[in-house]
Amino acid sequence: MKKVIDFEHRMAAHCETGTLTALLNYNGLEITEPLVFGIANGIFFGYLESSNFPFPTFIVRSRPGQIRENISKRLNIKLEKYWFKDPEKGEAKLDELINKGIPAAIQVDFFYMSYMPEWLRVNINVHFINIIGKKDNKYIISDSYHPRISELDKDVMRKARWAGGYMAPKGFLYYPVDVPENVDFKQPVIKGIKRACRNMLSIPVPFIGIKGIYKFADKIKEWPSLVRDTEHLSHEIMKINILLEDQGTGGAGFRFMYATFLQQAAGILQNEKLDDMSKRMMEIGDKWREISYFAAKIGKNRDLGKEKLNELSLLIKERGDEEKEFFKDLRKTV
Amino acid sequence: MSNSNSMSVTEKEQLSYEIKNLIIEKLKITHITADEVDNDAPLFGKDNPIGLDSIDAIEIVLALKEKYGVRLADQNLAREILVSVNTITGFLEKELKKE
Repeated sequence: MKKVIDFEHRMAAHCETGTLTALLNYNGLEITEPLVFGIANGIFFGYLESSNFPFPTFIVRSRPGQIRENISKRLNIKLEKYWFKDPEKGEAKLDELINKGIPAAIQVDFFYMSYMPEWLRVNINVHFINIIGKKDNKYIISDSYHPRISELDKDVMRKARWAGGYMAPKGFLYYPVDVPENVDFKQPVIKGIKRACRNMLSIPVPFIGIKGIYKFADKIKEWPSLVRDTEHLSHEIMKINILLEDQGTGGAGFRFMYATFLQQAAGILQNEKLDDMSKRMMEIGDKWREISYFAAKIGKNRDLGKEKLNELSLLIKERGDEEKEFFKDLRKTV
Repeated sequence: MSNSNSMSVTEKEQLSYEIKNLIIEKLKITHITADEVDNDAPLFGKDNPIGLDSIDAIEIVLALKEKYGVRLADQNLAREILVSVNTITGFLEKELKKE
């Protein structure tokens, strides 16, 4: 088999929004990655403690798949979705789509993406890439984290698509089948903003939204009692930087991407106040980035005494205060 | 800096030198001077005597924001830009031209 679809490859900040944006662009809809993120109310915060996790963690975006579902609903885009238990059937479906000239997004374990630098490759089961062709036994890939179109051997791809573990891909693939030619973004943008404000301010769960940020600020002071030793604590504290900056967040835990969305929303809605909100969100993002740096630095230097953790806690609480005021004001602008 | 659209060779060299000094100063590097840093050598890993790590990368991103007012928001982009002194210079040249 030798078929490569003429697909414009572009890098993106985040794999889920990047793949979806590229597929929508391919199908004729002009939309940017930040607009996809904002319309789908991707911005979020949650502090999670569960027996499913080896250690408490936090999330800065809505759950995987939610962005795709929200975009489909709000922009009236029909997506065809498949999960496959049987790898042979899953591969046959993908090959059939390639033969028909239809690019599709698939879910994979990032670890197997051998074209990426080795130091970056970790087991994350919710990485998304677009498949745009096949040459003999190699799939042709548009991965928004890689500067060029890449290739991956069929056998390695099978391991990546049917990797086991938490949030296993289960051969998932999707592609748009019906994309409206002309979309008026006004109402979807307003809905996305209102929903984001609701999620951050009003969900009555003590670890979600702004309450989640405050919970994180409080609980981090207790982390020393949850770890085996200083090395373990250092590892967990340094992970704050990874979760905010290194996992396709667009920087500062998606706050920069949301700021860009608000800037574009200002143009779409002809609302200057959203421009100001965009600038405010950029500044909030800068301060989240300072938390990343602070956490990475004290973690690296094993400087993890009570005083430093209190300082880190205070910085996180301040972001909570700022985001609380921010989302209250944002709600008033639309 | 000149008023024309692109920087002269001398201006680029000055900017590169400034970046090297910024990195050395911010990261408190004492074993090497700006003159000893090869503009083309990778900043991260063993091929450059500076040998930076990912935490140093955040510090450089914050320093570039503080000194030049440019925000390197996306880490995928940051990986492409923080390759060497020359790639940072190229990025700053484009960004400063926008102002």
